[in-house]
Amino acid sequence: MLPEIPKNETLLFQMEGVSKRYGGVRALEQAELRVHAGRIHAILGENGAGKSTLIKVMAGVVAPDEGRMTMAGNEVSFASPAEANKAGIVCIFQELSLIPDLSVADNIVISDPPKKFGMIDRKAQRKIAEEALARAGAADIHPLALVKDLPLSRRQMVEIAKALARKPRILILDEATSALTAADVSKVFAVLKRLRSEGLALLYISHRMHEIAELADECTVFRNGRNVATYKAGSKSDNEVVELMIGREYSHIFPPKPPAAASDRPPVLECRNLSWNGRLREISLSVRAGEVIGLGGLDGQGQRELLLALFGVLRGVSGEILVDGRPASIASPAAARAEGIGMALIPEDRKTEGLMLPMSVRENLSFAALDQVSSGGVIDRAAEQRLIDEMVRLLAIRTAGVDIPVGALSGGNQQKVVIAKWLMRKPRIILLNDPTRGIDVGTKQELYQLLRQLADADAAIIFYSTDYDELIGCCDRVLVLYDGAIKRELAGDEITERALIASALNIRSGAEAMAVGAGA
Amino acid sequence: MSDTTTARIAGRMPGFLRRADPAVATAFACIILLLVFGSLYSTSFLSPEYLLQQLKVASFLGVIASGMMLVILLGQIDLSVPWVVAVGAMMACAAAAHGTAGMVLAIPFGIACGVLIGLVNGIGVAYLRIPSMIITLATNAVAQGLMVVHTGGFSPQDSASAAMRWLATGFLLPGVPNAVVVWAIVGAAMVFVLTRTTFGRAVYAIGNRERAAYLSGVDTRRIVMIAFAVSGGLSAFGGVLLAGYASKAAQAMGDAYLLPAIAAVVLGGTSILGGRGSYLGTVAGVILITLLQSILSVMQMPEAGRQVIYGVVIIGMLLLYGRAPASR
Repeated sequence: MLPEIPKNETLLFQMEGVSKRYGGVRALEQAELRVHAGRIHAILGENGAGKSTLIKVMAGVVAPDEGRMTMAGNEVSFASPAEANKAGIVCIFQELSLIPDLSVADNIVISDPPKKFGMIDRKAQRKIAEEALARAGAADIHPLALVKDLPLSRRQMVEIAKALARKPRILILDEATSALTAADVSKVFAVLKRLRSEGLALLYISHRMHEIAELADECTVFRNGRNVATYKAGSKSDNEVVELMIGREYSHIFPPKPPAAASDRPPVLECRNLSWNGRLREISLSVRAGEVIGLGGLDGQGQRELLLALFGVLRGVSGEILVDGRPASIASPAAARAEGIGMALIPEDRKTEGLMLPMSVRENLSFAALDQVSSGGVIDRAAEQRLIDEMVRLLAIRTAGVDIPVGALSGGNQQKVVIAKWLMRKPRIILLNDPTRGIDVGTKQELYQLLRQLADADAAIIFYSTDYDELIGCCDRVLVLYDGAIKRELAGDEITERALIASALNIRSGAEAMAVGAGA
Repeated sequence: MSDTTTARIAGRMPGFLRRADPAVATAFACIILLLVFGSLYSTSFLSPEYLLQQLKVASFLGVIASGMMLVILLGQIDLSVPWVVAVGAMMACAAAAHGTAGMVLAIPFGIACGVLIGLVNGIGVAYLRIPSMIITLATNAVAQGLMVVHTGGFSPQDSASAAMRWLATGFLLPGVPNAVVVWAIVGAAMVFVLTRTTFGRAVYAIGNRERAAYLSGVDTRRIVMIAFAVSGGLSAFGGVLLAGYASKAAQAMGDAYLLPAIAAVVLGGTSILGGRGSYLGTVAGVILITLLQSILSVMQMPEAGRQVIYGVVIIGMLLLYGRAPASR
């Protein structure tokens, strides 16, 4: 199955039968990987395919449950990232890890500064930094410049220099170019190619297919925690690659969708040319009452920011938001939930954004709707209790009374509390940010039913999920985001896993390409 | 289900009892222990006159600690207490020197000055995102400077108004000092605000998880600002009462109230990280601190020794309760 290896390129790192489970979820399942010196190896896969777990295992961030790893023929196991560094595996993560207020040299040697009499040897530090910068092709950066004064692309070079100063034999780049412009990317690529010629092994994780095509020597596709194929770069078409990435097991049952949501109804929520800070680019969308709109795409393409921007959390959003066809200025969650707009956001992380864990189920449930059960700021306890009883019954929240801390509930029931607390306000527009993450299958099923019931009761719903099955099963339309912009809109039968993955990677699937060809 | 039964019983209990946690019980146990210990030293420690006198002295601290508690529940701190107390006292006395109108407006004017300083603190913390420890320390210094300018650095000559004296030392109900009644009213209002109003819920919510409270559509900045303003007002009110008690204001009269106020709140089981605590606990903490002060002075413990004991008590309570995880 593995392609032939030219004799002059030696096998540097090998992973065999590595598995890792988080609770009941299998993140990696008998994964195999071979990394060769002097090659750039790309890793591909959709959300949850096991890419990030693979990197974390290699970089010593998490310990695998089983399997063995060998480095240059010797078996290794890493208890910490420091041990992985020592063995020669260094990782550059997506988010820049530099400290803005320290100098470039300080940053480069930060984990292990050279010392003299117990003090940092500044001369030696500067020398190390200069060498590393030169090797990263960025000798023009002054080692004593502050990182915060450098433009983003230069910082990325410092990041690479920092990794090189640790003398890696394998360099892992996790979405390392996602913050860069095309011109900066080509500079980084030149450096990476030179490092390859110096005999380094590079592991490159990216969702940009054209980057992989330009850079990689070989590619491995992951799916459901397994490596499903390894092939020589360029030997497979984009369409074949998508084919390899497809194939998640369907495990959920979804309520039936209505026969096309009435398209003649006016939109409840619209936004035009929404942009924010380079993370959202000219997003326009509209949602009608009774419609469930999905947000698709790979993780971190601006979906979360879009929901936060609509809900008034982000500052400096440009563009226009219309509710019922009238411009609405939503400057805070308080404005978003107000009468006339009636928006609700089920946030991403229920433990830090949705709930006050030590407070009681009662206090959490009624917190967003307190203004509706109080007069003059004094809470009407009987009215509060009525609403709470209604919600506990409606969502079948399993709790030993409403006066125990909400933190004592199971994850699924906590999520129900977050949703119930917003349903109390009877919102007309409901934004959901990956609401089924980390909850049990039974509760997921209940949430899908609830979502459809709410839509049938004329709510307009925007639903972001990292699980493509949910988008296919729940949504009337799906907007696929890529790099902060909407790249495709899929409706009805077009919403297939193939179409979702192809548009998430910003490539056309083969069938459509043929259709376009036939049309022309 | 026994679980649901207990929950139902708990649901019928008043909120301040439901919130009570072991720290409150411990504080009350300590009060009894102190009294027993004191009675061994001298039997007059158990006489009604002594206890009533202690309650009266505790009232001043009680009013000040009420405001401090509100701010600590948010996970913040108010270090401007010492000179806001002095501002309240000095401004009320200064107003009282201006004829009849001044006499009438002395108390509200003193409190208003405290509210103003509290507002500055609140705006700094909520809107300008300055750490409360820094801004309140700074406003304390500014208040001190202004008062030194106002008095010329000497003991102020203005006397407290009759109303102030009556409030602090008079007897409306036979046998119960007015100061105690005032504290009881402030305390009842605090319990009501904390347990029955949307503002109180929001204070606990912000102390637990400000982001969750904000994303629920609560104007968290307004709540924080109001809490600091209330704290300033209550500190100044404490100063007004103290001035009435002593008939006049004095330089540095509030210095002895900062640490005891924080200690009382923390001793009463309010988490220094915010989000958890009951007013009943603060009541216990205030009485405990007052008794401790009294017994130490009766035993002729020098001031230096008393300071060491306060500090050790606060550190001890923080170790016991402050580090406990927020979710019980």
